[in-house]
Amino acid sequence: GVVSESATGLPIPGANVIVKGTTNGAVTDFDGNYTITNVSEDDILVFSFLGFATEEIPYAGQETLDVQLDEDQATLEEVVLIGYGSTSEQDATGSVEKISSESFNQGAVVSPEQLIAGKSAGVRITPGSGEPGGGSEIRIRGGSSLSGNNSPLIVVDGIPLDQRGVQGVRNQLNSINPNEIEDFIVLKDAAATSIYGSRASNGVILITTKKGKKDSPLSLTYDLKVSAGRIIDKVDVLNAEQFRTLIENTPGTDPSLLGDTSTDWQDQIYQTSVGAIHNFTATQGFENFSYRVNFNHTSQTGVLKTDVYERNALNIALNQDLFDNHLKLTLSSKGIVDENRFADQGAIGSAVAFDPTQPVYQEGSYFDGYYEFTTSPQQQQIQATRNPLALLEQLDGRGTTKRNITNLNAEYKFHFLPELKFNVNAGFDYSENDGYNRRPLTSAANNQDIAYFEDYGGFNRNTLLDFYFNYKNDIDFLNTELDLTAGHSYQEFYITSKRIETISNDIQDFPRETNRNALESYFARASFDIADKYLLSGSIRRDGSSRFGGDNKWSIFPAVSAGWKLQNENFLSSSNVINQLKLRAGFGVTGNQEIGPNYGYFGVYNPSVGGVRYQFGDQFYNTLRPEAFDSDLKWEELKTYNVGIDYGLFNNRISGTVEAYYRETEDLLATVPVPAGANLTDLLVTNVGSTVSKGLEFAINGAIIQQEDFNWDVNYNITFQDLEITNLTLGENPDFEIPQGGISGGVGNNIQLWKEGYDPTTFNVFRQVYNEDGQPIEGAYVDVNGDNEITEEDRVPYKKATPDYFMGLTNTVNYKNFDFSFTFRGNFGNYMYNNTQSGNGFVGAGTVTPQPYYSNFNSNVLESNFNNNQFFSDYYIQSADFVKLDNISVGYLFPGEDLDVRTSLTATNVWTITNYEGLDPEISNGIDNNFYPRSTTVVLGLNLSF
Amino acid sequence: ETTFEDPESYKQFLAKLYASLAVSGQEGPAGDPDLIGLDEGFSQYLRLYWSMQELTTDEAVIGWNDGTIQDLHGQNWTAGNEFIRTMYSRIMYQVALTNEFLRQSTPELLESRGLAAEERENIARYRAEARFLRALHYYHALDLFGNVPFVTEEDAVGAFLPQQIKRPELFDYVESELLAIESEIVSANSNEYGRADQAAVWMLLSKLYLNAEVYTGEDHYTEALDYSERVINANYSLADDYQKLFLADNDSNGAQSEVIFPITFDGQETQSYGGMAFIIHASIGGDMDPEAFGVSSGWAGLRTTSALVNKFPDGADSEDNRALFFTEGQTKEIEDISSFNDGFAITKFKNVTVNGEQGSDDTGEFPDTDFPMFRLADAYLMYAEAHLRGGGGSQAAALGYVNELRERADANQIGSSDLNLDFILSERARELYWEAHRRSDLIRFNQFTENGVWPWKGNVPQGTTTESYRNLMPIPASDLGVNTNLEQNPGY
Repeated sequence: GVVSESATGLPIPGANVIVKGTTNGAVTDFDGNYTITNVSEDDILVFSFLGFATEEIPYAGQETLDVQLDEDQATLEEVVLIGYGSTSEQDATGSVEKISSESFNQGAVVSPEQLIAGKSAGVRITPGSGEPGGGSEIRIRGGSSLSGNNSPLIVVDGIPLDQRGVQGVRNQLNSINPNEIEDFIVLKDAAATSIYGSRASNGVILITTKKGKKDSPLSLTYDLKVSAGRIIDKVDVLNAEQFRTLIENTPGTDPSLLGDTSTDWQDQIYQTSVGAIHNFTATQGFENFSYRVNFNHTSQTGVLKTDVYERNALNIALNQDLFDNHLKLTLSSKGIVDENRFADQGAIGSAVAFDPTQPVYQEGSYFDGYYEFTTSPQQQQIQATRNPLALLEQLDGRGTTKRNITNLNAEYKFHFLPELKFNVNAGFDYSENDGYNRRPLTSAANNQDIAYFEDYGGFNRNTLLDFYFNYKNDIDFLNTELDLTAGHSYQEFYITSKRIETISNDIQDFPRETNRNALESYFARASFDIADKYLLSGSIRRDGSSRFGGDNKWSIFPAVSAGWKLQNENFLSSSNVINQLKLRAGFGVTGNQEIGPNYGYFGVYNPSVGGVRYQFGDQFYNTLRPEAFDSDLKWEELKTYNVGIDYGLFNNRISGTVEAYYRETEDLLATVPVPAGANLTDLLVTNVGSTVSKGLEFAINGAIIQQEDFNWDVNYNITFQDLEITNLTLGENPDFEIPQGGISGGVGNNIQLWKEGYDPTTFNVFRQVYNEDGQPIEGAYVDVNGDNEITEEDRVPYKKATPDYFMGLTNTVNYKNFDFSFTFRGNFGNYMYNNTQSGNGFVGAGTVTPQPYYSNFNSNVLESNFNNNQFFSDYYIQSADFVKLDNISVGYLFPGEDLDVRTSLTATNVWTITNYEGLDPEISNGIDNNFYPRSTTVVLGLNLSF
Repeated sequence: ETTFEDPESYKQFLAKLYASLAVSGQEGPAGDPDLIGLDEGFSQYLRLYWSMQELTTDEAVIGWNDGTIQDLHGQNWTAGNEFIRTMYSRIMYQVALTNEFLRQSTPELLESRGLAAEERENIARYRAEARFLRALHYYHALDLFGNVPFVTEEDAVGAFLPQQIKRPELFDYVESELLAIESEIVSANSNEYGRADQAAVWMLLSKLYLNAEVYTGEDHYTEALDYSERVINANYSLADDYQKLFLADNDSNGAQSEVIFPITFDGQETQSYGGMAFIIHASIGGDMDPEAFGVSSGWAGLRTTSALVNKFPDGADSEDNRALFFTEGQTKEIEDISSFNDGFAITKFKNVTVNGEQGSDDTGEFPDTDFPMFRLADAYLMYAEAHLRGGGGSQAAALGYVNELRERADANQIGSSDLNLDFILSERARELYWEAHRRSDLIRFNQFTENGVWPWKGNVPQGTTTESYRNLMPIPASDLGVNTNLEQNPGY
């Protein structure tokens, strides 16, 4: 007989034919012919070839048996979601990357985005801080807005989350249990994202959670991860002895204010954090029904004392097929109770500033025994630094957020026309938050004659209804595969919040705040795959937002893209080296409507609250304020050009992507100075200016060793990025700049600027002058404009906080039942403003105090010898290049009859190579100031599956 | 739109126009700010105006490191100075607010909204007050910046580029507005406490005319004298005790008889980190006991230079009871501006009543003390000065007014030969220091820049003269950047 491809009819050379259960077999020749003997009736013939689905055919005595093999969808056509539909990796024309669970980062991961840090070119995930359950900053291709949101749109099982997050949680993504995530799909360029229109400028991440599989036996899994973490470094401050010496040697000080103990305040506030993550999962599948149920309990203490995060979550996924698989119903529901005890993070700053010669406790202290700076036994010095440990232990701050994200999806394949599908998706995301803060009368941080309390609460509601039709068919006479989608979506966001707080001995009951906005959209997409070689795709979305008025309410976001599957061309199809080579290019327009105000386009009046009433005669009147607005407010618009190559070599042993993009943001939404007198504020969110960003991304995956019981995979990616403001003003003044980046030290001090021609995180500094010994000369700066005076006009743009390039490297090794993996990540060309040094690293910082106490110094004071602050000196702009060993993990699987046991040991945030002098070179805004340190954590994992 | 069917809304909107001289936003003491370009407390109107008028002169220094605040006393500010920028923004914001009020309260609109005739009459008076406030803000603009963007109720809210008005034309506009409302506003000394009346209009006219030569090159001393005289004859009287004017109960302890236009504060109702909270807290430090000032703490910032101390015979030990200095632990001369102990402190403003009781805020954070923006003593001194500058009137009256003030202060009486312009400038310092008049006074006497030296002027310890272009503040670079209709003031 002949073995051939079902799709093309071409013969398959080298296919295996074997009699099932025997060693009797044959291989097809160059023309797909095979001959096999010694076959009896009722034997089963097995036809197989790599990349095709294996076919089993009972032998019924034929002389010849021709077989057509189908391409194996599972290996060749890995399905990727692209928003309102799916495609295959082969056929994607936009920049789409799938990161599946097998390549996730290991460790006690609480926040889902940490699973993919360092895994994808163009995606930079910066952990926010070391707090338990804390979130990260996610940037796909760097973000392109100034005042608008720069975070990607996150779509969980079809529901786009509110980009503003929900109230009361440390990280809104924590409501997605990392254990239950099947894969992340990152849509990077406009060709891929523009189907999400007005929210797509910063990329889109589609998160799909795990579902039950049809026809699968009951499987029970218990997974446990126990972790312990500690900080590996502290801010370098003076010890008690050094501090005393410095105070005593400073003229005009009064050393009698010093104490006689020696306290390391940072040791007082930090602890070893512990945590446990439990996951119980049950999943089973029948012919038409499958389910997956997961219960998760997570608890973690912070390295900062009193900081606790706890999560209880129940995930349920149900799938039901009806009417001969014509109707598929999917219900996924996530119920989460997120409980926090929030530590007073002000303790971090207090601990580096508190006088180290003072004790932690003082006998008989009115302040619950804590030592505080006082003017009389019961009266604290109001301006003084507060006891860091008291700040932590005297605050009872708790909050609970209950959230439910539920989505019902129905896909109906028309009986009379199975190529046409109707998909409807109804979802809601409701989250309710309650919390309080309490401080006793005996807390020195409470400057009132009554105990301090604050009660707050509110809810966020996000409801979604969308539907679309999809038509997929082969048009034989054109040799074209056609894929058409058109639909409608409506989404509404409602937020309300309320709080009561004691202010100045009074209970202030703040009026309820509510906030609503809605989006209505129409979208369509058409994709053509011509001769399995040429891909063409176009999409369009029309979005209407309640945030804009008049003609600006509706806008259209189109995209087109094309791909060329070179491997299917004759000149490559026989190549032994190249098995995949696709060129693609796309262009698209996306928007950003995440601008802050909901009613920014028309005038509203706002009544005063709290202590804002004005005296007329002997009565006090509330005040009524007209709010600023811009009636012409419209979307920010981003145009993206993208070109890419997807390649696979040596049978995909080496594969990857090379990509380049160019983006222009127009009508940039920025908070900029409004012409004085023209509006009812000084700074207003309005459409002004533009930015240009460019980037180059490389990703390579190599299967270095691929053997039955030994595999070694390496994944490496590197991204080069550049973002520049090209216009910032209605006028033409190129010197126009807007200060940014508030620092600690003084009030209203900024260290960064926005200016035409510069990255938006560029620092704005004086150029420090040094003496022959390389010692900075206090107050001596370069007179840049040559007017013989040092004024702020001599401050110049210098360096920036965002990296020029960054990379990730992952290694995964499997040997028999052992597995071993590690991930390195690195940023280069990024700088940090060391605010811990500039804020406390001069003599006046500790000695010029408003009340009789002294505060500690950053040890840098001994190097700089500065007496007064030099906040704006480039002395403090320090290179923050780094390479981090993010995680390293080793595991062993004990296979059993009924029970598989896997144990693992993982260390995270293991090792950082950097020249940066502060605690951590990776702080998202580039200003290092009382940073909550990240811990180094060791995780013991145990996984039982029955 | 429905907001304005309720007559109460107009009074609340009017309250906003006044309140934004005292507070910084819609939530007290902070939160929901009017301006977002600078920290809320810092961007408060009175705090900024006070800083412009006092920190730039011999009367005050501040020890802090906030942004470019040191450049104010050093007289080396640039167009990028955030305090100057925010003062400018604040003034123009207030103008925009009053414009919006005038747009929303036209007789036609009131009628179409169905408001009763009596309400419409009330609101007509509010309109006159709104115009007074707008004239006051434009007056500050005229005095500080000279050539500013010009908008009236004719301009709608938006992102357009306002045209720049020249200083003499702005002078004419302020004058014409004040003259127009003179007869529409409530008559002198008969409005509710805190609201402006005819006397406030006269006072502002008098100031406008007294400084006219600076603003336009033409003098108007006759008018200055005329309007100060109207104030003097309007049934106000000097407080019996100088200190009472600056206490927590200065709206009720008798001192209110002298106050023509206050910015009111209240420890519970009108809270802000600017205004009086700033002036009182920031002037306390070193060995001073905050409790004696009715506040919880000192912010250790403000002191004065020896130049002010030396204006009093025997300096800080002067018998003149206006010499309210704190000297214990302080040095008279300033070696290091950032050290609170350098320079004498000032104890003029306090949050205690005449009986020594703390104001109404138990936490001692926010004072009750009202700021006397215009008071009778100033009218007396303006009369005397206008007379000396050739504005008419009688020398006897001028001398009498000056001596009345000196008598209250337990200072020796002066004779007619002592009454000259130099004396007036010094006497204004003695009587009105820290009341936000000094910069304008020094400029009118040509002592602010090219002449006149005091410690740390020009950013050197002994002080030095500076260039005369600094008599005007720069148009902030940020506004020049967005509004291409604007031209920078000369020199910057």
